[in-house]
Amino acid sequence: MRNDLRDAALVELRSRIVDACITQAALEDGLPLDVLINDTLYHEKKRLETDRQSPVRAQDAAFWDDVKSRLSKAGEAELKEILKSIVERFTEEVRGNFSPWVYGMATKVMPKALPLLLNALSPKRLMSRGMPDIGETINIHGDVDTLRRMNELGTVILAPTHLSNMDSPVIGWALFAMGLPPFTYGAGLNLFTNPVMSFFMRNLGAYRVDRRKTAPIYKDILKEYATVALEMGQPNLFFPAGTRVRSGVIESKLKLGLLSCGLRAYINNLARKKDRPNIYVVPCTLNYHLVLEAETLIDDHLRIEGKSRYIIDDDESSRPRKILQFTNNLVNLSSRITVNVGSPLDPFGNAVDPDGNSIDGHGRVVDITKYVTDHDGRPTHHPQRDRVYTREAGLAVAESFRKHNVVLSTNLVAFVLFEMLRHRHPELDLYRLLRTGDEGTGVTVAELTRNVGHVWDAVSTLSREGKITLDSRSVASGDAQVIVQSAMRHFGTYHTHPVMVRRGDRVFTEDMNLLLYYSNRLRGYGLERVVRRAIREAS
Amino acid sequence: MSGGKRATVIGGGSWGTALAHLMASSGADVRLWMRNEERVAEVNEQHTNARYLKDLPIDDKVVATSDLEEAVRFAQTIVVAIPAKHFRSIAYEMGVFVTGDQILLSATKGFEAEHLKRMSQVLREETCARKIGAISGPNLADEIMAGQPTATVVASPYDEVIDAGAGLLAGPTLRVYGNHDIVGVEIFGALKNIIAIAAGGCTGLGLGANSLSMLLTRGLAEISRFAERHGSQRLTSIGLAGIGDLIATCSSPLSRNNTLGRKLAEGKTLDEALAEMHKVAEGVNTTEAVHLHAEHLGVDMPIARGVYAVLFGGEKVNDVLGTLMSRANRYEHTERPIDEPEPITGSVVETALAVATRRPG
Repeated sequence: MRNDLRDAALVELRSRIVDACITQAALEDGLPLDVLINDTLYHEKKRLETDRQSPVRAQDAAFWDDVKSRLSKAGEAELKEILKSIVERFTEEVRGNFSPWVYGMATKVMPKALPLLLNALSPKRLMSRGMPDIGETINIHGDVDTLRRMNELGTVILAPTHLSNMDSPVIGWALFAMGLPPFTYGAGLNLFTNPVMSFFMRNLGAYRVDRRKTAPIYKDILKEYATVALEMGQPNLFFPAGTRVRSGVIESKLKLGLLSCGLRAYINNLARKKDRPNIYVVPCTLNYHLVLEAETLIDDHLRIEGKSRYIIDDDESSRPRKILQFTNNLVNLSSRITVNVGSPLDPFGNAVDPDGNSIDGHGRVVDITKYVTDHDGRPTHHPQRDRVYTREAGLAVAESFRKHNVVLSTNLVAFVLFEMLRHRHPELDLYRLLRTGDEGTGVTVAELTRNVGHVWDAVSTLSREGKITLDSRSVASGDAQVIVQSAMRHFGTYHTHPVMVRRGDRVFTEDMNLLLYYSNRLRGYGLERVVRRAIREAS
Repeated sequence: MSGGKRATVIGGGSWGTALAHLMASSGADVRLWMRNEERVAEVNEQHTNARYLKDLPIDDKVVATSDLEEAVRFAQTIVVAIPAKHFRSIAYEMGVFVTGDQILLSATKGFEAEHLKRMSQVLREETCARKIGAISGPNLADEIMAGQPTATVVASPYDEVIDAGAGLLAGPTLRVYGNHDIVGVEIFGALKNIIAIAAGGCTGLGLGANSLSMLLTRGLAEISRFAERHGSQRLTSIGLAGIGDLIATCSSPLSRNNTLGRKLAEGKTLDEALAEMHKVAEGVNTTEAVHLHAEHLGVDMPIARGVYAVLFGGEKVNDVLGTLMSRANRYEHTERPIDEPEPITGSVVETALAVATRRPG
């Protein structure tokens, strides 16, 4: 967001939050201001007890001590002053910074700077090794023209899937490559601790989100900031998964935070009779042959889900080395990151036609103002109703993710191999299966290829029905042999243990967790049955 | 005085007409949409709907029409009471006129057979409406027309829909309860019809209260399994739309599905039994759809399986009852057969001891 707009947004944000606090305190069952302030004080004190890393810990502690001492003898007027100072402090922390100069520079250096963004690597060392050009690495597919058009007709919330810390820079680059302006977006404080990343984040319009702050008023401030930004016509970027998806599946349980801001902003726009009141939600998927943090992520997932049934032997390799390998792979394997842009939705989850009109299941134009207006045609907020609307929009986003999920050779082959091993040991639960693996016997290349062929038939049928997307490079040919080779090439190089390796006429699994991780991307399409049937028919 | 309240009912069968009458008696101006011109004239001139409700008088604030556009545009709240089989096509036609501020309430208890869609899902797919709900509960049309007291459930994720439904339906003879679990309410409303057919079968065979009670309780258990699998909340089963509706449908001779069961127990075929009734028995389609779907999902529904065998497999009610009674005895809530060993617990010693006792000799 441009700095002048951002400052206007902050003023609006502060007055909204302070007004809301005062209005609700006046209600019979509202939270009185002193209780509200005390509650915030409690949450912040509690955070400061454990949050010893924070660079502003001392200032924070002093601020809250001051609040505490003022609070004890505060009258009504003083309470409002304390409230204002708290809101001001929180909003000041949130503010982002947008520098057109940095943006211009970043879009020039971004192609070469991606690894820098990911980690504070020594730039000298990276330069000496040479780096891939990100412009050739990121493929952009899907409904790009409509996305551009929606950005002209209204305000866009871009909602990508979230697998990796690479996602933000990848999307940042993709937006530039599509000729779109930088999007406002809330980034976790952890992304600001790395100095290089922080420089870019701040200057590209990201605002800061401190997940350790648990005070309800802080969360209100974050949501309202996004709402105000949307009302000012600032496009927003928002990862509905909330965090990187640990298991590798295509996300179905979404956090609805910013979607609800979209609806709120839309209603406010209607009430103010804004020119372009519409908010468009554009889901998109990010698809990687190999995921930078796959090993850590699936470990995390299994540890949480499996509890004692899963014990990890920690084998963290150094991150700089991993990133170099990863970028090398992007060059050497002509590995591509695919950004697949979905069709736009309105804040209620309806589809939108190219003219920006919402349409129903039969393509009939829907007057969506009716969803939020009262009997006299006045736009109204109705939190219970709006929560259900947002939930429905969330379902539509999840559905779009499934459709725009891109089938890559690594996912397809991992899926088939994992299901073959599962079929071999139907009596084992997941955790035992992960420990058992292929018992060192592997499967024959011929079997694997044949089954990949069967599953490819099934996914290409799904793709024709518009239920999934096929990668145009690694799988579209439908040649099972080529698909298996492509997957083997990717799997053999990057991870600590190759996911699978070929020895003679057999394929061996070296890392069952990663095999599971990469196979999970194709869960939820009923493809397990296809593998089972193929195995039964062959035997 | 109507107090400005308005409602539209789509479908002039017994339940649709009863609901229109009920809302009119509570003070609303009601449009009742039905296709048949003769019956439109009958409702407007004689205030009866003889085909479905004999000579029971209909409130004169109910105005029938065959003009769908007029009916849809008449009121903010529209109750849809169309048999499941025709529900989608009428919903599609309505979709041309419905606007996003309108509230749609399904009063049909049934599933769309092919994809096992609930009626509220069909309304959602065929119209632009979002504020959608369902009406269900122990509501036999004839008793409602006779002004006997009862209660109903209005289910919707939207408070606004529940509020609107209660505003129109509640009256001196009808209490309204709200429920956010629309999935559960609709599933119980539809699946109880299967149990009702079975209950009719029991009555037809001359069986008494013990048998009926067993059927209801075990019927409730299998519907609950099915409903929870689809995301319903457990408590809905013990509410009005769950056990409440089941008791009413299975114990009343007025219920169509119950009547169908009785006729089948008397030895009539499905076609013969249906030919003798001119009302739709939703349970027939529901049984087929649910049985096939439950098999696919792996949800055990022995009563539905039995009813399916009678309706579509030509089996005798008596034989099916025999099969059901000869099933293995089970634990009531876990469904584990009593003669099967206890599942392995965490203790290795206990497991080893249990295995040792189990071994013959």
